Amino acid sequence: MGIISGYIGRVYKQFTGEILVLPSRTVALLFCLTLFLLPLITADPYILRILILASIFAIFAASWDLLSGFTGQMNFGHALFFGVAAYTSALLNLHIGLPHWLTIPLGALAAVLAGLVIGVPCLRLRGPYLALATLAFPLILTGIIFAIPGITGGELGVSGIDRLSGSRVIEYYIVVTLMISLGFVMWKITDSKTGLLFHAIREDEVAARASGINTTRYKLLAFCLSGLFAGIAGGLYVHFMRIAGPSTLALMLSFQAIIWAIFGGIATIYGAIAGVFILVPLMEFLRVMPEIRMLLFAIIVMLVLLFMPEGLTTWVRDKIEKECPRCKLRNLATRKSCRVCRADLG
Amino acid sequence: MKRVMKGAIILLLACLVGVATSCGPAAAAKEIKIGVIGPMAYVQGEHHWYGALLAAEEINAQGGILVGDEWYQVTLVKVDSNEMVSVPDAASAMERAITVDKVDFLVGGFRTEAVFAMQDVAMDYAKIFLGCGASTPELCTRVADDYDRYKYWFRVTPMNSTYLGSVDFMLLGMVAEKIRAELGIEVPKVAILAEKAVWADPIVAGAKQLLPAIGMEVVGEWRPSPTATDVTAELSAIEAAGAHMIFTSFSGPVGVPYAAQWGELEIPAASVGINVEAQKEGFWDATGGKGNYEMTMNTYARVNITDETIPFIDRFIARVGEFPTYSAGTYEALYILKAAIERAGTLDSDAVVAELENTDRIGTAGRTVFTSDHDVTWGPGYVVGLGVQWQDGEMKCVWPPPGGEWEGVDYEGAVDYILPPWMVEAWGP
Repeated sequence: MGIISGYIGRVYKQFTGEILVLPSRTVALLFCLTLFLLPLITADPYILRILILASIFAIFAASWDLLSGFTGQMNFGHALFFGVAAYTSALLNLHIGLPHWLTIPLGALAAVLAGLVIGVPCLRLRGPYLALATLAFPLILTGIIFAIPGITGGELGVSGIDRLSGSRVIEYYIVVTLMISLGFVMWKITDSKTGLLFHAIREDEVAARASGINTTRYKLLAFCLSGLFAGIAGGLYVHFMRIAGPSTLALMLSFQAIIWAIFGGIATIYGAIAGVFILVPLMEFLRVMPEIRMLLFAIIVMLVLLFMPEGLTTWVRDKIEKECPRCKLRNLATRKSCRVCRADLG
Repeated sequence: MKRVMKGAIILLLACLVGVATSCGPAAAAKEIKIGVIGPMAYVQGEHHWYGALLAAEEINAQGGILVGDEWYQVTLVKVDSNEMVSVPDAASAMERAITVDKVDFLVGGFRTEAVFAMQDVAMDYAKIFLGCGASTPELCTRVADDYDRYKYWFRVTPMNSTYLGSVDFMLLGMVAEKIRAELGIEVPKVAILAEKAVWADPIVAGAKQLLPAIGMEVVGEWRPSPTATDVTAELSAIEAAGAHMIFTSFSGPVGVPYAAQWGELEIPAASVGINVEAQKEGFWDATGGKGNYEMTMNTYARVNITDETIPFIDRFIARVGEFPTYSAGTYEALYILKAAIERAGTLDSDAVVAELENTDRIGTAGRTVFTSDHDVTWGPGYVVGLGVQWQDGEMKCVWPPPGGEWEGVDYEGAVDYILPPWMVEAWGP
């Protein structure tokens, strides 16, 4: 009994000391709680559909952020991972009859292989050259898909795939739970030593290599990890939409990942997730003005990036929190001294 | 005094209630909500809307739709699917139309991949969805494979892509016969000129395989971009190859510069096949008249496919100011739906499906009867499509040829196909 109460006490202390102490983490917690409790308030299938799609795209956008935001490997063809996993999951489900809990991981594995296939030839490229090279891969795969329509369905795609569940609410809980878990895993990766090395590669690759870091290995790791998470998103998408078509490899999808991540705040993971959860419902809301929907969307994105060049969440976070100049930990903006090292926060 | 006050207050309240009741809106007319779903930023979606709008206005002017012994007004809901850009957007738009806008029936759809996704959403809710844009046969194969789930899907227009291909080759065959008869060339040479797009691949492959078997020789294949602005290199090569016919497959804007340059250079080869730009009324002005003698497959032309065709085209142009494209077949879809609902006497989807299956309507593009897999029936006496040729600024129907030469199908207003005079001059006896 004493052990249990001691454990609860420790969890409570960590909860108040690590989460409630910072507004950004409290907001993240509230966001997760809201997502979990929402079906108790409304089970409207349309609202759940939008949130399921937002969750899938949030994993996808965060996986782009993991690769391009953290390691600086600018990937303009991120839909490749999504599409490879989508087609793999769809074909395995349709032709072999594997269930979705197997096809989604296998699709993600195929996306990891795609990450290696891209990563190896692109290791020597940087900046715009890398961006252009990555842009080419989804186009090549699209060409292959059209070349073998007997297997891929060509322009029509592959349809008739099993859904995640017969119930929209269960589908919602599967996808949202995965989104929150994978988002947390990605955030922990970037917060770990590996994440620090990703940062170092982005800031100065030569200096990182001079410090003894095997940058080739870490860049390949970033490609594979990014492929893994984007692949899970692709597998979820295909079992939710029940179709895998050429649109899963479209340039527009690659660019959307970039827009979501930059809008929310690049190199943060949570920024990409926030970007999707703001922009996807916003686009739905703008359906009330169909004629100017895309125009309004573009204006909103431009205004946000004009006044908040580092992204929305970064801008908000900097308004409500400040970083300790000594220990670099974040504190509530109203605090006078650091919550850990007691340094003066000005 | 108190009693008087009480009585006055009750009287006042009664008056207020009476006034409120008499001044309130009349009992709202019952309505049937029909969602018109399509890419509204594109001409295909616009014509989905215009076709449905014209039909809804006409139906409402006639009193609406009689369900049992009650009249219902048609209310249209414009649903922008954004399907050209995003497939998930299209599926979300469909679900929103059903769950938020509470539409009773749906018409429209264009991009195949998106229509598959939208079809699944509509079937989840057992909502009747009349397709008016996508031609792939697989959309109807689903009905045959899983009738209970997909029975709510029907294709009104266009005829499926297999039949589109058949008509394409029939047009080519008709022109080949003309060349044989007028120019004495027994084995006409054909140049295949198709835009670099996936939809054109099976047509190109089919042409290479089929044409030699029906007495024609293929002299080469050229594949410009769908957005090319200059095809003079291809046309020069085709002329040098000695082609008598150019078999076109164009859906993109390349159709305009192609026709203009073909006419300007007077390439001595008849142009026949699919050129979507030539299906539009603005084609003549866009080519500066150089597109004279260009021939393409089409759905509508000012010809009496039925007695409904020309009056419909006139009303459409008067209302919208544009010549209808095939996605304006939503007009037909609404009338087909109206008839089925009135026969069923209920809005229940299953009952309406049963009546839709019994559809036999003489409409604007022909006689519509659905096949067992809910596709539009193709063939003489049903919907067959048209071949049109630009002749001195007018889009004329040239196939089925006049005089009932093809399967006895004879549309009043159809005229003979004319070989370009510069071609006759170059190859004539």
